[in-house]
This record gives sequence, C-alpha cells and structure tokens, in this order.
Amino acid sequence: MAIEVGIALGISGSDPETLLDLARQAESAALSLVVIQGGEDQGLDPWTTAVWLAGRTRHIPIGVAPAPVTADPADPEQAYPAIVAKAHRSLDILVGTRLITGESGWVVAPADATADQLRSLAAAGTPVVVPARSREDVDRLAELVGGDGASKERSAAVRARRREGIDYDHVPASLADVAIEPGDAAYRSVASTYLRGGSPGLVLRPRTPAEVADAIAFARRHRHLPLGVRSGGHGISGRSTNDGGLVIDVGALNTIEILDAGRRLVRIGPGATWKQVAAALDPYGWALGSGDYGGVGVGGLATAGGIGFLSRRYGLTIDRLRAVELVLADGSPVRATTADNPDLFWAVRGAGANFGVATAFEFEASDVREVGWAQLALVSTDLEASLRRFGELASAAPRDTTVFLVTGRPRQGQSVIQLYAMVDQRDPEIIVERLTPFTELGLLAQQQVVLTSYADVMGLAGDVGAEGHQGVGEPVARSAFLPELTDAFARDAARLLRLGLVYFFQLRTMGGAIADVPTGETAFAHRTPAFQVTAMGGDQARLNTAWDGLAGHFDGLYLSFDTDVRPQRLRDAFPPPVLARLRDLKRRYDPDNLFRDNFAIDPDPIEEHTR
Amino acid sequence: MTDYGHDLLFGLFVTPSATNAQHVLDLAVTADRAGLDLVTFQDHPYQPAFLDTWTLLSYAAARTERVRLSGNVLSLPLRPPAVLARAAASLDILSGGRFELGLGAGAFWDAIAAMGGRRLTASQAVDALREAIAIIRDLWNTEATGRVRHEGPYYPMAGAKRGPRPAHDIDIWVGAYKPRMLALTGAVADGWLPTLDYLPEGVASLPGLNARIDEAATRAGRDPAAVRRLMNFMNVRFSPTSQGMLDGPPGQWVEQLADLALTHGITAFIVGGDDPAVAERLAAEVAPAVRDLVRRERG
Repeated sequence: MAIEVGIALGISGSDPETLLDLARQAESAALSLVVIQGGEDQGLDPWTTAVWLAGRTRHIPIGVAPAPVTADPADPEQAYPAIVAKAHRSLDILVGTRLITGESGWVVAPADATADQLRSLAAAGTPVVVPARSREDVDRLAELVGGDGASKERSAAVRARRREGIDYDHVPASLADVAIEPGDAAYRSVASTYLRGGSPGLVLRPRTPAEVADAIAFARRHRHLPLGVRSGGHGISGRSTNDGGLVIDVGALNTIEILDAGRRLVRIGPGATWKQVAAALDPYGWALGSGDYGGVGVGGLATAGGIGFLSRRYGLTIDRLRAVELVLADGSPVRATTADNPDLFWAVRGAGANFGVATAFEFEASDVREVGWAQLALVSTDLEASLRRFGELASAAPRDTTVFLVTGRPRQGQSVIQLYAMVDQRDPEIIVERLTPFTELGLLAQQQVVLTSYADVMGLAGDVGAEGHQGVGEPVARSAFLPELTDAFARDAARLLRLGLVYFFQLRTMGGAIADVPTGETAFAHRTPAFQVTAMGGDQARLNTAWDGLAGHFDGLYLSFDTDVRPQRLRDAFPPPVLARLRDLKRRYDPDNLFRDNFAIDPDPIEEHTR
Repeated sequence: MTDYGHDLLFGLFVTPSATNAQHVLDLAVTADRAGLDLVTFQDHPYQPAFLDTWTLLSYAAARTERVRLSGNVLSLPLRPPAVLARAAASLDILSGGRFELGLGAGAFWDAIAAMGGRRLTASQAVDALREAIAIIRDLWNTEATGRVRHEGPYYPMAGAKRGPRPAHDIDIWVGAYKPRMLALTGAVADGWLPTLDYLPEGVASLPGLNARIDEAATRAGRDPAAVRRLMNFMNVRFSPTSQGMLDGPPGQWVEQLADLALTHGITAFIVGGDDPAVAERLAAEVAPAVRDLVRRERG
C-alpha cells in the first residue's frame, strides 16, 4: 500500500536557510508534505513562512495550522476570519492547490517512528508527518518510505480539500479521468452556476449514456448528499450546484444531428445550449423555440416547458419533442415517445427533472426563416396603465408576434420598460405594423428593430469561457401564471414594484399554440394562462410575503423560475390530478427519490396524510 | 530648498489583481531583475478582484532576490498590529532584510466593517494608528525586557512576548494627507508615503506638507531628516514629447525627479501603471541618471 509521508518543520528558532533546505530536500525525495509547526510568540509567523516556502519550492504541498482568528477588532493579536480566508484563496491562485490547513490534514508521528509505525498511522489515508531537523532526518524518511512513496494521482493537498461522505476512491473508472473535485485546478470553473454560487464535493462529467448510468449508480450510493443535475447551469429553481454534494454535469453530451431532413427531425444532447442548437438549425431554415436566452442548456429547459419567442406560433419547446432518452434512477436506459413508455413521455414534458437524467432529445423543428426582432426601451410615469395596456396588446397580437416585458424598480416615479419582441414574418412593413402599437406604452427612449434570424437572437447570449459560470449566493425568484392581465393585477404589480423588493420583473406572453395542446397531454399543465410572470429580488422571505399577497391573481407557477421551497409550491406547479399521476409514476420510476434537485415530488409524502 | 539627504529609491506601485496574478508576479520579478529598489502593493482586502496583499508580499519576496517590498499602504483596520508586527518581522527575516512597512489608517469604512474590521472616525483612526505603531515597535524590540503592555484604548495588550526581531530596522512609512496624520508622521514614522495625484495642488502642495512633518518632528525632538519622503505617481508614461509630470521622454523624467529630490526632499519614486516596459526603462534610463544628477548637485 502506498503511504504518504512528509516532514514537520518547527519554525521557532530555526533559521530560514535550514527550513528552505529541508523543504526542498523533502520535495526532491518525493515526500508528500511539508508541515509548518510553531507559531509561538517569538518564532516566525506560520502563514508568512508557509507562503514563503511555497514560493521557493515547486509543487510539494504545504501544511499549516489555521491562524487563530477573532471577531473582536480590538484584539491586536489575532487576525479576522475573512482576511484569513482570503489569504488562503490567494495562495491557491498563486500556486494552485498546495495548501493544507486544518489539523485533520495530517497525523504527526514521533521523530523516531519505524516504517511499520508510519504504515499503521498512514492506514487511515491521512498523510503522516515526522519532525525533521536535519538533512539526515529527511534522508532517513525518504529511505523508510523508499519506493513506497506516494504517487497517487492527486496530491495530499488536493485530497485535503475533499468533502465528507463521498467515496472518492471509488469513483467509477469510466468517469474518474474527467471527474473534478474541490482541490482540482478546474474546480473553480465547475463549482458555480449562472446565478448560484456553489461548492460541490464532486462533479461527475459523463460523456455517454453508459457513463450517465455509472454516475447515477455512484449517486445512488450517496443518497445522503445533495445531487444536482446540470446541463447549461442556468437553473434558478433547479439546483445544479450545491454545497458538499454531487453534481452530474451532462455538458459533454452536446451533439446536434439531423435525423430526417424531410420531417425536420433533429436529435440533440442535453448539454448543448439553445444558442448552439439555433446556430446548427439555421442553415436549414429551421428553428426550435426555446426560452428567451441562448445560453440556457437544452436538458433543463426541455424537461420543464420552454416558454419563448416562438411558443405562440409553434408551441412550447416540449410540444416539439417527439422522443426522449433518459437513464432512470436504477441505471436503466429508456426511450419514451407517445408509443413507447407514454407515461414517462408525458411526465418528462414538464416534470422531467424528477424522473431521470436525459441523454438525448428528438425534436421536430419548425420552418423559421427570417424574423423581425425588436428591443425597445420605454419610460413610463404610469406603470399601472402601461402594464394594463401591454396586457391587452400582447394578448391580442397575432400568433406570429410575441412580446416579453421586463421592468425593475421605478426611479423617481419613472419605470423603464424593456420590450423584447419577435415577429415571425419577413416583410418589414408587417413587422413594423405589429410592433407600432407597443410604442405607446411609454416615452420611447431606445429602439432597435432588425430583420434577422432566430439564431442571431439566441446568439446574443454571451459565451461561457473556460472559467465557467461564476454565480454567487442564491437567486431569489418567484413565478406565477396569470390567466389574464386584469386591471387589479396591473395595480398590484405596480404597487409591488414600487416597494423596491423586485429588481427584475418579467411578463412572458403565452396563448396561441401553447393553448392548442390539451391540458392533460403533458405534465406541464398550464396551457391557458395569458402570461407567465417572474419576479427576482434579494430577499426570499420579503419577496414571498409580497408575492403571496398577489396570489389571488395567479393560477399556478412555472417551475423553472421559482426558488420558494415551501411545500405549497409543488401544488402550484402541478394541479392535483397531475401531481397524483406524477406521484404514481415517481413510485414506479424513482421510488427512493434520488432525483430531487428541482421541485422534488416525494413518492410517499407524509404531509399529504396529515393535511 | 529642502533635501533630507537620503539615498534615492525607485520602485513600482503594483495592483494586486487576482485575475491576473501571473502579471502581478512578473512585474515584481521584472523590477527585481531590472535593479529597481522597491516593489509595493496596494492593500484593499475588501476588494474581491484583489489578492490578499500580505500573501502576495510573502510570495513575491520568495520569488525575488534583491528588491525590497512593502505594502502601499497596508490597511491597519484589517491588519491587527501584533499580527502585523510578527508577520512583518518574519518576512524580513525570511527575505534577508528586504521588507519595509507601509501603513495607513484605513479608508472605505463600510467595506472594512464588512470584512470584520472596526469602523472608526478619521480622527479615531489616526489615534489607532499611533497606538499600533508603538505596539509594532515594542514587539520588534527584543533588546528590551518584559512583556509588551498597552493600555489602549484601540488595541489593549495585557502582556505579549516580544519578537521575532526583524533582520534589519524595518522602516514604517505612513500614507498621510491631513494635518493630524502629517503630525503623526513627523512625530513617529520613518517615512511619508503619499500619492502625488491625491495632493490638493500636486507638487505645489509639497512645501506646506513637508513643513508640517518637519515641525511635528522637531516638536517630538526628532531630526526632520529622520522621516524619508516617498511619493507614488499613478499616471506615468514615457512619451516622445513632454506632456506633464512623468509624461514625456526619459530626460524629462530625470529632470523632474531630480528636482523633486533636491527641491522637495522626495527620495523614493514609486510609479503605477503595471507596465513592465515602464519598469525596465525606469531602472535603465531614469534611475542612474537621476542618481548622478542629484549626487552632483548635492556636491
């Protein structure tokens, strides 16, 4: 068994040259760790010494006990926690993961420990350090360890960042080479998502359906940890990152292929983004309606709904779905269509996150050539009237015209209303005719109207670079479906915005082809509302209080955009008969509730019996 | 004419950018190899885009051989004085006597409070700095016996062991602009480290500000020459024609800096801009010529 042995250097009274000499000797002898011991008043400062040694060696991990910290700013002798944490992060940036802090990062053996004693101390998997004061001490250790010396793939410093409760040593072989754990250099690029900061314990990145099954098998053995499933990482309600749990990132399953040009049938991996999909379909003169932002991943949206700029004409994204392939909680791959596994096909279209990890979608694209695209900014001094009028215009518009409204906190009695509009027409005169009525919603401050392609509109989304998403904190959002935009809603919504709690308020116009599909056809059950409303704020409790006050206007919610975790939200997302059927299916397909990161449907809810 | 007779120092004012840490380090190494005297880093711990300045100083010291390092200036409200004293002495020992302590009373109090520091008024912050300097000097003074005790009120110490002892007499340079800070600088600091761009009337402010420091030094029974006068220059560039202060050909830089040394007693010139080419030209084309000129004029 490979054991990991390092040296402990006492820094009280040692001269810097000796410290450095021994650290370098340990590094060239392929020992695993140099621990800095000391910190008595008169000795060297441990942190400064650790950083210094990291700067004068190349790769050997450096261990140092965490500095004593205080919350008392009048204490001249202890540092502040935020500064210490920043110092640790800074060293990671400067030298990579080489720092081990915390007493549990190593075990100290006696200076005269024998090889057997070292082996037994190392059996727990923690590196063992032996006090060293001279080159002879280091030589003796190097000899003791001999060829036994650690050559594990990840250094002791990287492994020291591992989280509790994850069986890192048994990550499936198929996934091990691309799995990312907290000490890895790539971790920063996968830890967080678009709107959420995270620190998962392990990110698994399967490349094939078989590897997805391996990842799910690993997740089944870690039922005690949060499990996030990530496609594009744009989830708001979906928690595709977490703290200390697992993430299955299907970003590598991102192929887009044409199956049947005659039927406009395309097969798309869950890890593609809608921007990529739009760009791939554009040469054929096709498009697949998605949401309002091209950076969103296919998997998350295509299992929830997809209310976008083409929905009024061609239906929700899930309405274009003809087949889906997924891996279930038990690891079995399954294909679902209206003919095969129709129950599952029904469930995936609106509640897919509860049933498995999708590995491929087959869609029938729509024939979409040039479209009119407009971004208008209007200033309104009477938001209530503007909302009311928007409701009338947007709902009455023909199916080829879809207008979304966004506004935020009013300033000095004025609201800036942003309109994002697509007109599925190529005649500029028609486009202008469709859009002109909307310009009366306020004082037109900015307008841009172009004849373009759906792909170009999706292409407005920025590319995510090698750094990945860098979201921080938790998003705070509420969602609702609005059967109609009544005068009373316009009044209450304007009042809500004046409270200043909401910095982003969006109305997505529905109707048209969305309502052509019978309500029971998909697990997404909200076919008849006129609008989907989203509000984002900074404080969940305060937003909840305000939003709950509007409940009388609403009928259900869109599960992609709501971060409220109170149980009632599940019943808003799924009306009673739908929820009952989903529970039945959940008992069949995921009885242990492995998939629970987005609007978890408990197969056996206790609450239902008690209510 | 005011000239306190110090040797001349030339150095860099470096932004401790976390997103471009390699560039930050390259600047320090460039300064070291080019023969500049100083590499200094600003310290704003609450700025998420910045590295921790202490960690960066320690790391840059390890990656360089000759150049001296300093914070420019370290934020006392987030760097408790005893922690700072021990860390500074340690870095001085590890680096072979290459550390100097640039220190400031603090600014951006909301951000300081958010990081765990204490919100002080400008006047309280001056008093806290004075107390901190006394603590730091006492901890470094291992010749004296007995534990270090201070009454406070900002940093009460019940009795701390002295040490470690720095490898050389570390200078304490204070960033100061207002009368009370200037008075403190004259009374207790080893150097004054302002930024030219922040002086109300630029170079024209110097006689008045120097006089305040001199006066405070004299009142404290010190020789005004005990306080070195340093200066940061944020906007500098080498350009073909003369455009203004440190914006022109090297010959113009030489004249301007020599004049600052001989007329205003400024003997450390620290330039910002984070440009390695400027660092190299400062070392090769400006520093030797300024030294020559000043040596000749001093006679």
